[in-house]
Amino acid sequence: MRQLASLWRAAAVVAAKDLRLERRGRTRLAAIFALAVLLLLLFAFALDPATSPRQVGAVILWVPVLFAGLLAVGRAFAQEREEDALTALRLAPVPGAALYLGKLLANLAVVAGLQALVLALGGLFFGLGAGAHWGALLLLLGVGSLAFLALATLLAAVTAPLRLGETLLPVLLLPLLFPVVIFAAAGTQRLLLGRPLAEVRGPLQLLLAFALVYLAAGCLLTGPALEEE
Amino acid sequence: MKRAWGTPLLLAVGGLVWLAGLAMVFFYAPTERTMGIVQRIFYVHVPSAWVAFLAFGLVALASVGYLWLRDPRLDAAAVAAAELGLLFTSAALITGALWGRLAWGAWWVWEPRLTLTLLLWFVYLGYFLVRTASESLDRARRLAAVVGIVGALDIPLIHLSVHWFRSQHPQPVILRPEGPHADPAMVETLLVCLLGLTLVFLGLLALRYRLERLQTPA
Repeated sequence: MRQLASLWRAAAVVAAKDLRLERRGRTRLAAIFALAVLLLLLFAFALDPATSPRQVGAVILWVPVLFAGLLAVGRAFAQEREEDALTALRLAPVPGAALYLGKLLANLAVVAGLQALVLALGGLFFGLGAGAHWGALLLLLGVGSLAFLALATLLAAVTAPLRLGETLLPVLLLPLLFPVVIFAAAGTQRLLLGRPLAEVRGPLQLLLAFALVYLAAGCLLTGPALEEE
Repeated sequence: MKRAWGTPLLLAVGGLVWLAGLAMVFFYAPTERTMGIVQRIFYVHVPSAWVAFLAFGLVALASVGYLWLRDPRLDAAAVAAAELGLLFTSAALITGALWGRLAWGAWWVWEPRLTLTLLLWFVYLGYFLVRTASESLDRARRLAAVVGIVGALDIPLIHLSVHWFRSQHPQPVILRPEGPHADPAMVETLLVCLLGLTLVFLGLLALRYRLERLQTPA
């Protein structure tokens, strides 16, 4: 129990450090949020005028978040390579799981912001909304983001020490992410089309299961990935 | 280095069983009623897919073992299995496409089992990209092991997805709780092909493992 508490404390310290860095270097956050907005706007031009945005709403809500989120995640470990901060982190008396959870928390905060922005603009530009099921939509976006980031944060730890890290991250991540995208998009689409809540239970449970599997993998494997010879 | 007779023997026996299986495919197994002659691809397709999944399972096991014991022999086994897994996944995808062209009328359909097998192919491509992008051997081994484990976690998801989506892929006809519902001659042919290809795979695995051990410093 004590160990678990100290693990969380260490994770919170890492997350707070990352978010402080984000706040001080606001340019990067601004660029990531601008990218999400621009991707959203691209849909307005890319979609055939005959297509109702509601029918492709899941794409409009998820694609900008995934791509902009990918930038945020890739940066999370890559920034530790500057001035060799990674060595200092490794020397700190915290387990790899704490580093992983801390980075995950910071990434979750950024992606939650992205989700909120994209959801608001999706409503504004495309009239997307879940009617009476707002709570379910927020839950689905939250669990979907958790599954996405649980996997992405681990793979960012894998690609950070590599020469082509930032190029390799999407190549490694996207194939593994597909099941998450399929279920997140399916659930979101059903909510946007106003289908009954019972149809969303399945995707939601599966996303939660994926999130737990990837969380466990991340806690166990981040340590070995960040080790230095 | 002493001569190892195990590997050539395994390859020879496996090759003979595989040839016998192929003979059974053409001269023993009956022609399927609705699909006709093209159904015979099944005897190559299913063993390839089975061997590919076996290979990725071995990659995951060897990767877990490597992260635990840090024995380079386990890493060599993982590399050998991953390379063969990529090869047999390609074989399963290509034979599947050939069959699909005639049975479904399309080379490819966006069906979950096909899609995820293709994605798995990309995952193990990533396994080799991570290895080549690493600056040191130790780093390559550690990071590839992580990818190998995470990739294998995707295999159960493939299975899950089949039940979730309405599937166009034929449902299992041999491994069913109620027992196989195919002609016994078909089942026998498939089993011989499975055995032959598995033995060939194990022989190639031993060969590739030896090569990897000779290529890398101990």
